[in-house]
Amino acid sequence: MSGGIARGRLTEERKSWRKNHPHGFVAKPETAKDGSVNLMVWECIIPGKAGTDWEGGYFPLSLYFSEDYPSKPPKCKFPQGFFHPNVYPSGTVCLSILNEDNGWRPAITVKQILVGIQDLLDQPNPADPAQTDGYQLYIQDPTEYKRRVRQQSKQYPPNL
Amino acid sequence: MASQQQVSAIKGAKVLMVGAGGIGCELLKTLALSGFQDIHIIDMDTIEVSNLNRQFLFRQSHVGLSKAKVARDAVLKFRPHMSITPHHANVKDSDFDVEFFKQFNVVLNGLDNLDARRHVNRLCLAADVPLVESGTTGFLGQVTVHVKGKTECYECKPKPAPKTYPVCTITSTPSKFIHCIVWAKDLLFAKLFGDKNQENDLNVRSSDAASSSEHANDVFERREDEDIDQYGRRIYDHVFGYNIEVALSNEETWKTRNRPKPFYSKDVLPDKLTQLNGNLDKSGATDDFSSVSAMASLGLKNPQDKWSLMECSRVFLEALKLFFLKRVKEIGNLSFDKDDQLAVEFVTAAANIRAASFCIPLHSLFEAKGIAGNIVHAVATTNAIVAGLIVIEAIKVLQKDADNYRMTYCLQHITQKMLLMPVEPYEPDKSCYVCSETPLLLEINTHRSKLRDFVEKVVKAKLGMNFPLIMHGANLLYEVGDDLDEAMVANYAANLEKVLSELPSPITGGTMLSVEDLKQELICNINIKHREEFDDEKEPDGMVLTGWTQAPPVEEEKANGNGASSSNALQVEPVETKKDAELEEIPESSRRKRKLPEDSEGTDVDVSNDVNETKNHKEVEKLDDDDDEDLVMFDDWASASNKKKRLQ
Repeated sequence: MSGGIARGRLTEERKSWRKNHPHGFVAKPETAKDGSVNLMVWECIIPGKAGTDWEGGYFPLSLYFSEDYPSKPPKCKFPQGFFHPNVYPSGTVCLSILNEDNGWRPAITVKQILVGIQDLLDQPNPADPAQTDGYQLYIQDPTEYKRRVRQQSKQYPPNL
Repeated sequence: MASQQQVSAIKGAKVLMVGAGGIGCELLKTLALSGFQDIHIIDMDTIEVSNLNRQFLFRQSHVGLSKAKVARDAVLKFRPHMSITPHHANVKDSDFDVEFFKQFNVVLNGLDNLDARRHVNRLCLAADVPLVESGTTGFLGQVTVHVKGKTECYECKPKPAPKTYPVCTITSTPSKFIHCIVWAKDLLFAKLFGDKNQENDLNVRSSDAASSSEHANDVFERREDEDIDQYGRRIYDHVFGYNIEVALSNEETWKTRNRPKPFYSKDVLPDKLTQLNGNLDKSGATDDFSSVSAMASLGLKNPQDKWSLMECSRVFLEALKLFFLKRVKEIGNLSFDKDDQLAVEFVTAAANIRAASFCIPLHSLFEAKGIAGNIVHAVATTNAIVAGLIVIEAIKVLQKDADNYRMTYCLQHITQKMLLMPVEPYEPDKSCYVCSETPLLLEINTHRSKLRDFVEKVVKAKLGMNFPLIMHGANLLYEVGDDLDEAMVANYAANLEKVLSELPSPITGGTMLSVEDLKQELICNINIKHREEFDDEKEPDGMVLTGWTQAPPVEEEKANGNGASSSNALQVEPVETKKDAELEEIPESSRRKRKLPEDSEGTDVDVSNDVNETKNHKEVEKLDDDDDEDLVMFDDWASASNKKKRLQ
């Protein structure tokens, strides 16, 4: 079965996350309305780093794994319209380690992905813009950019 | 005498010892004196008074302290320059994960339970660290070497699960004393003093006949304002009189068996004796609940005495009464505990009355306690010998001297004048569900069995997993653990109550489930085959797991070596079955005598004494059959020695 490798790896990821994970982060398989728990989709929460404009925000992120995982990276999506220079309007995160032609390696763990995205929040990569709004403000109007980021952090309080 | 190679292997080794009890104390001492320099010890236990006779690193002043820590301090006194790191913790804690195990060159087990042994075995396999496993029971002991890919793992050979008995043997046709003990402990005691909501088969046979009569369901409930003596007699008459008569009415049952004799309290105990009870009770009254004892209030002193039927009956009524008078608050959530004097008295009395009814030899409180509590008396010398053998094997393992690994049995084989029997280790079993990857097959009724049945009867009871993750494809059906959030816990709890075919991701014939353990590093794949019907007698679980090496229905095993015991409900490990089997061979004529309960103080006792004499003589030879789960391979040592060249 082709899905066997993906599933086996995801079970390992699940176990290792349950045993130990960074504080404030959440990552768990999605539970559908009928009670089925699907290992191929994870619902995560990334806390904004303390001391940054992202502090206080708990940002929901979904990881979509394919049957080709871990040869291919999962697709990582914030809610649609998430404000960040490297997030597409659809919410999809643009990050080198999530690009299979670029920085993705099968050894990268879910933990590393989430921590990597947490780092990305406060350290956008202007070389890889994914949305106009966030990118323009980041480059041209740092004050307004900061305000928008802080505003967004308030939109995602803990326990959402 | 150690060679230079040995010395350097020992000096450079980092060793993990699991267990600092009977074997552990001896082992730590032997390791220290053999020159080992770096030892970690894990033991979750604290020192108890009953340990002091053999766990010689401990003194009375240490009672209550961590075994691992005290053992370290004691050894450092005579070997101050070595490094001993104690861990006062459960080896199953997540701190002791694969990475932790990987730092050691060899792991040495001195454990007292199957569960922990399996856990360590699985972690050693996952970490690829050799394991030297050991166990003792009385004069018997064994040491085995488990090296991944080279020798069998601890779980390649079936470990007999604690023996359970068919319900009807216990409820209707007991033939051995252990059956009476199980009845008294798991049915009667549980019914009267345990959780009322627990399923209980006590009335299984009589219920049909009795459902409309006065013997309705809560015959065991004390009626409002019912006099306690009257209540006791009513219970007595019901279980030893009425229920036996109901059983007798089924003629078919008794064609090939001796007919049991019903007992009624008025026949066994004349009124004035009961009066006497009451008086003595008052004089023996005390405020200390723990010392409440029917024996004390009846003036019975010696726990080694076999009571007559009359004495048993008095103890039965007195113990029942004392529970209601002195310990009424506990009623409803008591479970049998071998250290609960009153409970042991009650169970001894009840088991003996039943035994008398069924012409089974009576036993003393001391014996009954041993059987009911699965107590094996530990022998310090055996522990010392086994510890020595562990070190011998450990040194070979450190030198990777695979050709000379041995599993060694310490046994008492009088005819061969032999104490130790070394055998070449077996190769790994290719179908072992722990160290190989062959899927198991589970036949189960997917429309009737709930996920809970699967978790309890297969995942926990058979596969020995504690923190299972159950998956069907990419769907997680079940997980446990403190780290799960409430929503997930609720979702999994709901799944437990669903039948397999109605789960969010339905389990049907042809489904392959994968079951993993969060902490054990073990993955099992299980193919599901739907089957409509199961035989209640032969397949009481309502499911059949194959590929998992089902232990043969051995009559002579116990779950815990080294004197440790578990008094789990409903799981019973016969200690004395083999001996009882011999008792079965008493001539028919002497058995018949037992049918007359009035005789119990006369000829009857003589008979049973004779029988017990015989038993004691044979005990020494027969002990090897009464062995513990660790010694299971021992059962086939004869075949082992046929297949393998025996080494002397």
